Amino acid sequence: MRRCSTAKPAWGIRALIGVMLGIAVAAGDNPSDQNKALWSLAPLAQPTVPPGAAHPIDAFVRARLAKKRLKPTPMASRRELLRRVSYDLTGLPPTPEELAAFVEDKDPQAYPALVERLLASPRHGEHWARHWLDVANYADTHGNDHDYARPHAWPYRDYVIRSLNNDKPYARFVQEQVAGDALFPEDSEATVALGFVAAGPWDHTLMVTVREDTVDHRTAQNLDRDNMVSTVIGTFQSLTIHCARCHNHKFDPISQREYYSLQAVFAGVDRANRPFDSNAGVHAERQRLRAERLSLEHPDEKTLARLETTGTIRQIEAWESARARREEVWAPLEILSIVSTGGANFTRQEDGSWFVDGPRPDRDTYVVTARRRPIRQAQGRSGKLSAIRLEVLPDERLPKRGPGRWDNGNFHLNEFRAFAALPGSTNGGTSIAFSRAMADYNEAPNISAAQAIDGKGESHWGVHPRYGEPHEAVFEIKEPKTFPEGTTFTLLLENLAGAVGHGIGRFRISASDIAPDSAVLTPLPMALAAILRVASAERSAPQRRELALAVLKDINQRALDRLPEPQLVYAITRDFPPDGENFKPSLEPRPIHVLMRGELGRTGELVGPGTLGCVPGMPASLAVAETDDESARRAALARWLTDPHNGLTWRSIVNRVWGWHFGRGLCETPNDFGRMGGTPSHPELLDWLAVWFRDEAHGSLKALHRFIVTSETWKQSTLTGHGQALDADNRLLWRQNRSRLSAEEVRDTVLALSGRLDLTMGGPPAVQFNARGDATFMPGGNPAFVDYEHFDPDAPAARRRAIYRFLFRTVPDPLMDALDCPDGGSVTAVRGVSTTAQQAFAMMNDAFLIRQCGHLAKRIESEATTAEAQAGEAFRRILLRDARSNERTALAGYIQRHGLPNACQLLINSNEFLYLD
Amino acid sequence: MNKPIFACNRREFFGRLGTGLGGIALTSLLQREAAGAHSTSSGQGALPHYRPKARRVIQLFMNGGASQCDLFDFKPELIARHGQKFEPGGGQRVEATVSVPGAVMKSPFEFARHGQCGRWVSSALPHLARHVDDLAFLMAMQSKSNVHGPAAYLQTSGFFLPGFPCAGAWISYALGSLADDVPAFVALPDARGLPYNGRSAFTAGFLPANHQGTILHASAAQPMTHLHPPAGASNITAASRSEGLALLQTLNAAHAAERPDDSRLRARIESYELAARFQLSAPTLLDLKGETQATQKLYGLDQLATADFGRRCLLARRMIERGVRFVQVWSGHGGGADNWDNHGDIPRELGAAARSMDQPAAALLTDLKSRGLLEDTLLVWTTEFGRMPFSQGSSAGRDHNGGTFVSWFAGAGIRPGTAFGQSDEWSWKAVEGVTTNHDFHATILHLLGLNHERITVRHDGIDRRLTDVHGQVVEEILS
Repeated sequence: MRRCSTAKPAWGIRALIGVMLGIAVAAGDNPSDQNKALWSLAPLAQPTVPPGAAHPIDAFVRARLAKKRLKPTPMASRRELLRRVSYDLTGLPPTPEELAAFVEDKDPQAYPALVERLLASPRHGEHWARHWLDVANYADTHGNDHDYARPHAWPYRDYVIRSLNNDKPYARFVQEQVAGDALFPEDSEATVALGFVAAGPWDHTLMVTVREDTVDHRTAQNLDRDNMVSTVIGTFQSLTIHCARCHNHKFDPISQREYYSLQAVFAGVDRANRPFDSNAGVHAERQRLRAERLSLEHPDEKTLARLETTGTIRQIEAWESARARREEVWAPLEILSIVSTGGANFTRQEDGSWFVDGPRPDRDTYVVTARRRPIRQAQGRSGKLSAIRLEVLPDERLPKRGPGRWDNGNFHLNEFRAFAALPGSTNGGTSIAFSRAMADYNEAPNISAAQAIDGKGESHWGVHPRYGEPHEAVFEIKEPKTFPEGTTFTLLLENLAGAVGHGIGRFRISASDIAPDSAVLTPLPMALAAILRVASAERSAPQRRELALAVLKDINQRALDRLPEPQLVYAITRDFPPDGENFKPSLEPRPIHVLMRGELGRTGELVGPGTLGCVPGMPASLAVAETDDESARRAALARWLTDPHNGLTWRSIVNRVWGWHFGRGLCETPNDFGRMGGTPSHPELLDWLAVWFRDEAHGSLKALHRFIVTSETWKQSTLTGHGQALDADNRLLWRQNRSRLSAEEVRDTVLALSGRLDLTMGGPPAVQFNARGDATFMPGGNPAFVDYEHFDPDAPAARRRAIYRFLFRTVPDPLMDALDCPDGGSVTAVRGVSTTAQQAFAMMNDAFLIRQCGHLAKRIESEATTAEAQAGEAFRRILLRDARSNERTALAGYIQRHGLPNACQLLINSNEFLYLD
Repeated sequence: MNKPIFACNRREFFGRLGTGLGGIALTSLLQREAAGAHSTSSGQGALPHYRPKARRVIQLFMNGGASQCDLFDFKPELIARHGQKFEPGGGQRVEATVSVPGAVMKSPFEFARHGQCGRWVSSALPHLARHVDDLAFLMAMQSKSNVHGPAAYLQTSGFFLPGFPCAGAWISYALGSLADDVPAFVALPDARGLPYNGRSAFTAGFLPANHQGTILHASAAQPMTHLHPPAGASNITAASRSEGLALLQTLNAAHAAERPDDSRLRARIESYELAARFQLSAPTLLDLKGETQATQKLYGLDQLATADFGRRCLLARRMIERGVRFVQVWSGHGGGADNWDNHGDIPRELGAAARSMDQPAAALLTDLKSRGLLEDTLLVWTTEFGRMPFSQGSSAGRDHNGGTFVSWFAGAGIRPGTAFGQSDEWSWKAVEGVTTNHDFHATILHLLGLNHERITVRHDGIDRRLTDVHGQVVEEILS
């Protein structure tokens, strides 16, 4: 009986039987009882640096080498070093001119100065962000069967680039990505950081299409949180927490209960678009207004006191006196005809409204033609048509008294449209544009009156569950206008899609000429309207209070509406418009139970937010004051993760960074510091670096890069030698590892060589394929939806750095795929480096590479005329060295017979180009 | 490499393949181990683990969820209660994925018994009906998911989520290809588009990249990505290529000679040689001119409805003849129509899907058998889930049903004319001999001589395998 792993678990037969019977293993069988301590969970302390070398890294590495009687390899050549460090810190090659200058520069400070220049380059953040996005599992589509686009993912990608370029301290970087919204509300950047938790794949079908009450949907919710927890713990703690979803972790001291308590930390959020303001002033103003709104919605004593101030009382008086004329500003339209496309009948009621009965088809549009009645003249009126009001009214004859015709009393107003036909006009008239729509009641933020004028037939206004009451929507006209006498208006009330038979059951339509953007137009909830009918002196204290709050909210809302539209980032959030019936936010964190064997049907104990218990010196619980505040849960976890005493955090990041510099971490499994993972080759060095990074570098990643690339261990040659026999695998670092250029490095380098690299930073992703259809790019529906093969390699989007590519999870770029670029299917802590025939095909036949080689050839031809000279120049530019005479002769002959572009491509296919010594 | 290899270790096994694809597979694996990207576990031991019955596999994958109760799973109850409310009783919850359950719906196709074994097959599949004595049916397959994405992943990779290697990749990883000029795993998607989950349906996941499915678009001008230079690259000629490759290999050889201990550099040199060999072999793989008119007609290449699937079935046969280990032929694509996802109108939608597949699949059986290939070739027909015994709302379609569906096996190691498992009286849920995707995969690996519990790769803290922590070989259908 083996579960999850075929390696032999270290705990007893009793536990195995327990698993077989599906019984939760008792606490005494917790794997933490295992005798052997896990290296990564030892308390973090800084060892003494061994003697013998100036640089602590060299001192630790050489002490190990000496024990094995190994010696470090000599330094790499100036050419090798420049090429290596340029790619390592920026992902781009040096130019031949930079190489010549560096080789000539005998100043001992030349190399440190070079490192500083590379670290300061904006290219640095672009290159290192790609490493981070591998771990975050970032892409621009959701993944899975209908792989829809995620058009707002990129602000997170840009956040990572900026954070790395600005050398944001690591603790802050971690905190922002887990709980930036809660910990740094004043900083809009910190909200964008939440894209991290949402970066992985998301099953649109299961979460949106599949009914909410199905096992599939609930499984998807569980796995969605699993992905969040696994990504956060895998990235920041290097532990395989997901192994504890079905049972206690079999190898590491993580209980199933701890796993679910971590799910509880993320139980309040979903992945969705989250608004933010990149402009600091707008961000501050919106924060202020939102805070005010929150205080009005949940007034404390301070807010209540504010209601009694003279200033507020005056505001209310002014508002109310304007409001008093509200009914005067509306005049019912004179209805000429009403037709239902679905065959419904309309009967005029005494109050000027219309009652609907008869057939109730799947889709129905009421076509109303009408004229304006003159509005009672009053001072200050423009006579211009400024707003249209749609009242939907209850009626005894409707299901649940209406106002809708559907069985539950609801209606769906998908679209409300208006046209004006001047007298004598023969066509249907011109469309009237609305600027905003408001209602006294909206079913949800995304089932509001605004949805009735958004031009999208699938969204709607509805009033569930407030049935049997009158409601109204006011549609303000964008450009109020005077229409001549006799103008006919055609209004369309459309029930189109989403739900069948959801027409309106009784309604009345009026028009106004009051200036838009006035408080007078705002529809008021019934209760408030009743208060307004009471003379102000006679109102009770609660009535005064309710009115004051409503007025201030209205003023607040109008101020919010005047702010520019916020940007969106795909992130985690608890506040987002529902997408259909099944994907909705949870106002409170969802209850999380331990699930026996990870099965939904086998619910165990209810758990609150918590964390790992195995980290020495760290509490096993989270300090969360209010457990129903989901952001407080994440904030507590973020603080716990970045606590100086949490040794895992600091070991994890220095090991990760080390791995990206050397091709392999000191522990070779950067996402698994558990028993199934690797053990560090240099544990003392790892701990020393972790403490140094935390305490002396203050979490500066640039300081860590600088520290590593200035060590002799990093600068030594890749050449093999005496160590081959004793340590062929080079675990002890007696030489530097030879690395292959990454997919991004190949692509960016070829653009740099062709002179076509566009260094524009940031923004929406560069789509480097031909796409048909809408922005969802849904593949499958049409074989040509995503076509890399025929994409123009000279298109502007093709020239951007690879970090800015549109990353399509299920249909990755074949060239990048062949060079081991992750496809976003799962987290990539370490990229594979494969050698395949498909890769050879890609390097030989990819249209982009071939075209760029053509451009490179033109550049060379402009400087060198003979084939010999061109051959030499091709070597100098592509391989950054002079050709040997036999090489130059051979390539020149090839150029004469087959042209320079082919020769350039040949060199780009060489191992010397693709590998870094 | 023409003889099956039994007990030898992995290094020897790949060593026998010389410098071919297996050689590259080996170097890639060794590099992985050296680089520590994913330390491979030594759990698998010598490969194959025991004498294989099958040397190669062709899988026919009905994309969208082929309706078992309209094809193979005959239920008189559906006729008796046609139009009545679906009430399975016992307090069982009826859960449809995207719709409200409608009334019980009998199949619009007539069922009849066929062959010596007397299997029920509907009139939608007249050609396959004649072959039931060669087939072994899994009548009670069950999926953990009712949704295309995860259910298709379960059936391709054994996991609910993306990121895991699919069966073809595991088989490539374990056994490599049977010749040095073809890939081990080839996927032949429908001409109309990729299946659900796009290219992830053929992914190598965390296995070395050379194990991912080579996608061949049988009818496209460029059948394989990057197989030829792009149209318009006029500077590239046969001469420029052959001379260029020779010069490239000289440069690479000199470079490698100065770095003698780095096997990756030699592997890259070999990869160009393999690519060249593959480029030469590709036309013979894809060109059907050598096939007789009679064969082409047998596969239905002369009819619009069957031409695409027929061409790909015929290509599948040519590929296994030339050493491909695992060929996957997809029927239907991932969109809203032209596949087996028949939500709206079973007679029309399923009828069309069945017509496009029936004759070619039957032809493949006939052809494999007459050439003696069925002796050591496994032919598998499957889908990601079944469909509901009741209608979808008021339509004549059916919603997804992971509760029960049908797959069949034929050929090497299979007991012909058998059936295992049974669904309930409605064809709603599997009740007897319930078979999961894990059992299905375990059985395929078993027939290839592989113990599914012993082909593992450590990834992210877990020794992963195709069958997760489950899987039992379905002995009942084995000879």
